[in-house]
Amino acid sequence: MGLEQISEQVIDTDVLVVGGGVAGCCAAARAAENGLKVTLTEKGHTERSGNAGQGIDHYGPFPNDGITWKELIQQVEASQNDINGGGRFANSNVLFQHFKHKLWSMEELEKLGVPVKWHDGDYYWFPRADHPRGARYWLRVHWQDIKPILSKAIKKRGVNVLERTMVIDLLTTEGTVVGATALNVRTGAFIVIKAKAVVMATGMFQRCYENEGIMPWNYNLRYDGCPATLSGDGYALAYRAGAEIVNMDCNGHGYRLRDDLLISGGNLVHNDGLPSNDMTWTGEEIATTNTEKYAELERKGLTPLYRNLAHLPDDYHKRMEIAFVDEKMVDFKFAEERGANPRTHHYELCALKPLTFMAATGIFIDENHRSTMDGLYGIGDCAAPLHDCANAAVSGFLTADYLPDIISKTAEPVIDEAQVENQKKLALAPLKVKKGAEPLEVECSVRYICEHYVSIFKSEGKLREGLRRIGSLRREFLPKMKAGNPHELMRALEARNVLNLAEAHLNACLSRKETRGFFVRLDYPERDPARDDMLTFQRMENGKEVLEIKQVPGLKLEYAKEIE
Amino acid sequence: MPLYIDYKKCIGCKRCYELCPIDIYAWDEEKEQPIVAYEYECSHCGICWMICPKRAIDITLPASCW
Repeated sequence: MGLEQISEQVIDTDVLVVGGGVAGCCAAARAAENGLKVTLTEKGHTERSGNAGQGIDHYGPFPNDGITWKELIQQVEASQNDINGGGRFANSNVLFQHFKHKLWSMEELEKLGVPVKWHDGDYYWFPRADHPRGARYWLRVHWQDIKPILSKAIKKRGVNVLERTMVIDLLTTEGTVVGATALNVRTGAFIVIKAKAVVMATGMFQRCYENEGIMPWNYNLRYDGCPATLSGDGYALAYRAGAEIVNMDCNGHGYRLRDDLLISGGNLVHNDGLPSNDMTWTGEEIATTNTEKYAELERKGLTPLYRNLAHLPDDYHKRMEIAFVDEKMVDFKFAEERGANPRTHHYELCALKPLTFMAATGIFIDENHRSTMDGLYGIGDCAAPLHDCANAAVSGFLTADYLPDIISKTAEPVIDEAQVENQKKLALAPLKVKKGAEPLEVECSVRYICEHYVSIFKSEGKLREGLRRIGSLRREFLPKMKAGNPHELMRALEARNVLNLAEAHLNACLSRKETRGFFVRLDYPERDPARDDMLTFQRMENGKEVLEIKQVPGLKLEYAKEIE
Repeated sequence: MPLYIDYKKCIGCKRCYELCPIDIYAWDEEKEQPIVAYEYECSHCGICWMICPKRAIDITLPASCW
């Protein structure tokens, strides 16, 4: 049987970009400009998908005005240290490449039609609140329409855009990625894509912890501060195919803002360098607090905590309102309807809860965005240690420039038909299940396990019990997930990804026997010096997980020389 | 119910159905109107509300998200 018989559509391409957010669109547009044949798949619609779907209001940070690359790299490492504790969690060489190319990539965005300058024709910089010299640091941008612009740009450049198409699994031949299988989530068409390079750009992983809403079942995709589409598809596909993902033990926790005004740090905190003011309900000021501090405040009866913006000047509020229009207009509507106004009200900070995985988490890449498998690349939030819109754009453009040379030397991909058939059988199985579980029920069960057996304060006993439960959930309910149509099949595929990654999360936490930064093991309260600069690497091999603790690369000598 | 579609204002342009990131809309071919097919999956991102050319969609926070 040929591929044409197994699938509704066979696509032959040089580059397959998985995910059409900022990173994916930048990579696809430029790769097409570089003369490559590009196919891009997007689970939603490129015009309003990904983290910038509702818009975005800032770009940066930049090396500028006396802040050098070296300082920036150190700052990023230091901020990751604040979160993760001492030691290095990021491949410094990737950070170096990104800071080096940030201005260049902003110019490239302008060429794609994304306006970067403010209405007066000049750049609008705003400083970092805690920088002693008040250096120009971030760029304020009106990017509510960045996604429609990028969507138009890729189509104009001849990229074959498959909207409403979710990638199921990667296809591999002798350890090299040669393409992927995919599903159209509207028509149900099963698609095979042969590619000389696959660029993963599906954003970060979020959905293994409960959302802000309090109830299970209803509105269980209501996430604040990130798009609800983040089921970790890119991580899970890479992991199952055998590429290494890192730092699955590094999920953070933080406050959830209960009153629907969660917007980028670019505005609430750093707008014009003015700090916001967090306080206990009794009015006692508090600095950004950690887990233990929060627990102490709670024991003393000083919670809930509030964020106060009312003391800030009127022009700050005006700018903030514009920022909401640029990035998350609907939140302002919700807040207003609740009768909450930042000029007069304080915002409640919800209890400290496990949140999204850290920027340090994701597909492990080198400075050329190559994963540990040939033919597979990671860009944007999907790759470690990249984060935010600027890094998405930089990584997309850089990868697109790296690929032509590699692709000219890559042989025609050979697809293993048996592998395609297996993936199809597994992916479409929920359509045949009549009496079974709804995918979101399975996913909510995964979230419950992570909330209750991993959470913030971890211990061997809880983690082992969590692992046992998630293992039996996988064996019992993955085969029983049901789907009545392609939309529900998408939810089933997402639930599988979430479940696989939650299991990797539990394994990673169990293997780390120390306390450092946000990673708290009650049974190992001390920092283990042997884990300094060491990361947890995980991949699947023959259906079993391989977990290794390995050192993260430091800055190469030639890069170190360049920034001295 | 977070979403309310005013069918008197709706011109059937399909924008909400085409662009919803979570794919909660279905399309009624006969009436040429959107249907909220997966209400409980709505993430309240507000994109449909933002892009509807006739402001025919209203989005509010349900009581359970209060």
